[in-house]
Formats: sequence, C-alpha cells, structure tokens
Amino acid sequence: MSDEVRMLPERYHEAIEHWRQHNFPDYPKLAEVWPKFFPKDDAFCLCAKVAGDIPAEIEIGDDVGKPKALEPKELAPEAAQHLLSQIRAQASTEFGSIQQHQMTLFRAQEPQDQAWALRVMAEELRHGYQMVHLLTSSDWSPVTETKPEDMVEEILSMQTGSHVLAAFNLEFDSFLDNVVFAAFIDRVGKYQLTMQRISAYKPYASSMPPMLREEAFHLAAGVIPLRRWVEHAARGDGYIDMPAIQKAVHKWFGRGLEMFGDERGGQTNVKFGLKDLNNRDAQDQYIQECTKMLDDLNVRYVRARFPDRTRDEADAIFARVASGETVDGLSRDDLLRLPDRRFFRRRGEFAFQMVGTRGETFTDVEKYIAHVLASLPEAYRASIDVKHWADLQRAVIVGTTPLKEAMASMPRLARQAGGCPCGKSVRWVVDAAGGAGGGERLSP
Amino acid sequence: MADVRIRPVNELDIEAICRIDERITGKYRPDVWEDRVVYFIRRDPDSSQVAEVDGKVVGFMLGEVRGGEFGMEEPTGWLEFFGVDPSARERGIGRGLTDALLAGFKKRGAHVARTMVRTQDAEIARFVAAMGFTPAPVSALEKRLA
Repeated sequence: MSDEVRMLPERYHEAIEHWRQHNFPDYPKLAEVWPKFFPKDDAFCLCAKVAGDIPAEIEIGDDVGKPKALEPKELAPEAAQHLLSQIRAQASTEFGSIQQHQMTLFRAQEPQDQAWALRVMAEELRHGYQMVHLLTSSDWSPVTETKPEDMVEEILSMQTGSHVLAAFNLEFDSFLDNVVFAAFIDRVGKYQLTMQRISAYKPYASSMPPMLREEAFHLAAGVIPLRRWVEHAARGDGYIDMPAIQKAVHKWFGRGLEMFGDERGGQTNVKFGLKDLNNRDAQDQYIQECTKMLDDLNVRYVRARFPDRTRDEADAIFARVASGETVDGLSRDDLLRLPDRRFFRRRGEFAFQMVGTRGETFTDVEKYIAHVLASLPEAYRASIDVKHWADLQRAVIVGTTPLKEAMASMPRLARQAGGCPCGKSVRWVVDAAGGAGGGERLSP
Repeated sequence: MADVRIRPVNELDIEAICRIDERITGKYRPDVWEDRVVYFIRRDPDSSQVAEVDGKVVGFMLGEVRGGEFGMEEPTGWLEFFGVDPSARERGIGRGLTDALLAGFKKRGAHVARTMVRTQDAEIARFVAAMGFTPAPVSALEKRLA
C-alpha cells in the first residue's frame, strides 16, 4: 500500500515555493536536522499524495451507495459549494499555521522540540500543497466563477489576521504557543481530516489518509513536550510552570471548539456525504479527548511530584485531588483543567455568553472581562485580538453590536497587503519562466 | 467479558502503555515510552495497535515494516514491543493485537513478519510461538565489549 505522488503544474509549484521562502524562511534547517532527529525516515517531499484504497461509493448521507464524485460537476450544486468552502478553509489553516509557528519557532528551548515543530510546519506546507492540487487539478467552473489561479492567489495572500478561521489569526507569543497549538488546534485538524475521509468527492477523500498519518505526529509534537514540561514543573526544575500551560490552554481551547463550526450545525455536510459527524457530536468527542490529554498530563505531574509513591498510590492521590481534596499540599488548582466549553467564546451557540473557566456565569461584563483577562497569558492580553474581543463583549451586552455582527468580526491587523513582497511581482501565481504553466507532472 | 477494541496507537496512549509496562516490569519509564511510541507514530501510525476494554487501554503492540536490514531486502514486518496488563491476560487480547498488526504489515507490502525473543523470556517465546512464529533461518549473534 503506497500513496501515489503528484506534483502541481510548475506555476503553482513555484508559487508555493516562493510563498515558502517568504513565510517559512527556516525551512532549509529541516534538511540539516533531519538525519539527527528523524533517522531512517524518508526525506520530506513537497508534493500531493493520493491514497488508493478509498471506497468508490458514497458512505453517508442522502446518496449513500451511489458512486462518489470524481469531478466537482458530479456533485449537487449546493454540495459542491460546501465542498469548495471546506477545501478553501482547509488550505487557509495549513498555510496559516506555518505563519504562526514561524513567529516563535526559534524560541524553543530544546533542539528536539524545534526540529519537531519544523517538521510539522513542512508537513502543513505539504497539506496546503495538497489543497492547491485539489483546486487546480479539476474543473471548478460549474461551482465558482473564480479562476483556479485566483483561488490559489487568494489563499497564498492570507496572513495572520485574514485567515478564514479565528484560530489561525492569533499570533504566537512564545514557543509554548507552538506546542499547545499542536496539542489542541492540530487535534481539531485531525477530527476534520477524519470526518472528511468519507467525503463524497473521491479526490478529497483520497487526500485524507496521507494527511492523517502526518497529523498523528503533529499531535505528538504537542503532547510530548507538554508531558516533559509538566514533569519539570512538578520537580521545580523547569522554566514553564503549570499556570503558564493552563493559561495557554485558555487561549486556544475556545478557538479550537469554534473550528468545528456552530454547535447547532453540520447536518448539511452529513446529508451531502461530505462529513460523517455533525458539529456538536464532533465537538463532544474532541472535548472528551482533550480531557483525557489533560488527565494524562496531570498523572505525569503527580508521579513526578511524588516520585516515591507507587503507581497505585499516585493514582489514588490524583483521584482524590481531582475530586477536590488537598493531598500533601497538592490541590486541584495545581493541576491542569479544561475550561468550560462556553468560556471565552466568540462564535457558535455560546458566543459572547459570559461563562467563566469553571462554568460560573457572570452578569457584570466588566467582572467577566477581568476574569477572562486573568485567565489568559500575559503577552496575549496585550494583543489587539483581546482588546477587540473585550470591546465586542461590552458592545454585545449593552446591545450596540448585534450578536451576529460580533460573531463575524475579527480584528484588522495592521499588516501590509498579502501579495508577494518581492519587488518583482505583486502576485504569487505567475507564469513560469518560458511561459510554461503546463500540465501536471508526476514526480520521478 | 467486555468487548475488546483493537485500534491504532496514538499519542494519548502513552500513559496507559507506561502503566502496563510498570505492571509488568515494576519500572515507570515515561521517557522511554514517549520516545518509542512517537517513533512508531511518526513512521507508520496505522500499524502499531492498542487493545481497549471498556475504554481503557490494556494492551499494546508496536512494530513497523522495514526492509534491507541484515541483508534481508524483502519488506519485513518487525514486531518490536508488546505488553498486556496482567489483569487482562487470557482473554485473547495478545492474539487480537497480533492479528491486527500482521494485517497492517501485509497491507503495507510485507510477506513476512519477524521478531526476536531473549532465551530467558520463556513466556514471551510461548506467546509468539502460539501466534504462529517459527524459528527463522537466521542467527542472532553477539560479542561482549570490554
């Protein structure tokens, strides 16, 4: 079982390579560290990979049992529109996360953590490449009037602040964000890819297995550093303490939940055979998984805090502390905890409801804002994103901004336009030298 | 007996694998298992398996397909690490894990699976023999270095 490798036509391949030079300048480091940190692994390939063993029939929804679409025109018009939105959003997340990771990549304390983040970024680039392949290897003209080169141009022009989903518009403040992002936001990515694995559009379904295999490592690149940090935190010989991790969890968890879409929606994707779970069901499973992740981190913390205790004794201590007792100076507040799903929400069913980290409700907006600020990382509190949220939260409560408008609002980051910053060109997608822009080429 | 669910390993299984290893060896070795599990997740996350009973991981089996080692060019599925919680043994969990692992190897193009067992590990030797492994036409050699 091996995936088929496909390359983009030269103009798109070059556009992504060019984008990479500007947005992922540390990419060449990956080849340097690869033999040390990933010995025996195949070299990284910037290419699209297509799995072969994908069911030919639609697996869920109204058309279950019918042949999967091989071209967008074979889907119902509304389904094709949904699919195109999915691909564009997926592409935005892939390229967006690279821009975020790049901000703080070289603040990693451990060479291994940095090498892992580099590999994650490169594989996200490959996933973005995969999405561009989907947009440029089929005829989308029955679905959109936008030409493929303009769709690609739009995606490559997005920057932190103009991406489709809010989680990709937050700046990273430290390497802690690289790690917590991988543990929480890539986990949502895993859910999306898993749900899309059954897509009624076969080229999309075929893209998912190779991406999922790579995504499995991305989650590990988040969880393993966290496991080691909590151990150091318990021993008191580290640099990242539990409150810092907890605050980073508060920063990202709500944005992760919102990536699933409104809790009340998602049935249309199931009906069209594009995903196999509605938004709330997927979100419920995600919350369960995040809870387990934090439980495991807490167990690791307890074992390191009480190194002389046996496994059973440590498990008993954890159970007692989790239920609210203080045991040998260890209390629930010393451990990590997932915030309430309604905390610090800006989209979906619970948007701008004033619910605290532990599910407590607030009636005074200023007290709620103070609670949220106290729960977030210090550097993030100083960001335009937090100010934008606080202003909106106030406006929603006093009624000067309608909820729907607030949910659609994102801060406008003061950045230059997102086209290629080279003096030579204002577009990423340009005809290749010699006018070659031709057909797809297979890798050697 | 509750239903046993066999599924590919993921990064959230590490603590459970540490727990099983600790029940077998008496040692808590999180760093060791983090490195091992991430290695297999990185290289082939679909092959290595865990067994769950009532949502709790009670067994694991880690391995991958490689080729070209020791002059054996053919793609070989290597069974490298496994363990079943002592309280969950005699329920067919080891067999379920083996079947899933070997099916994955076959899907990845391997026509042979191999493993190695230390002579003193009689229990493990009995298990792999029961799983259909037979002595291979290769010799394991060693030389102690002073």
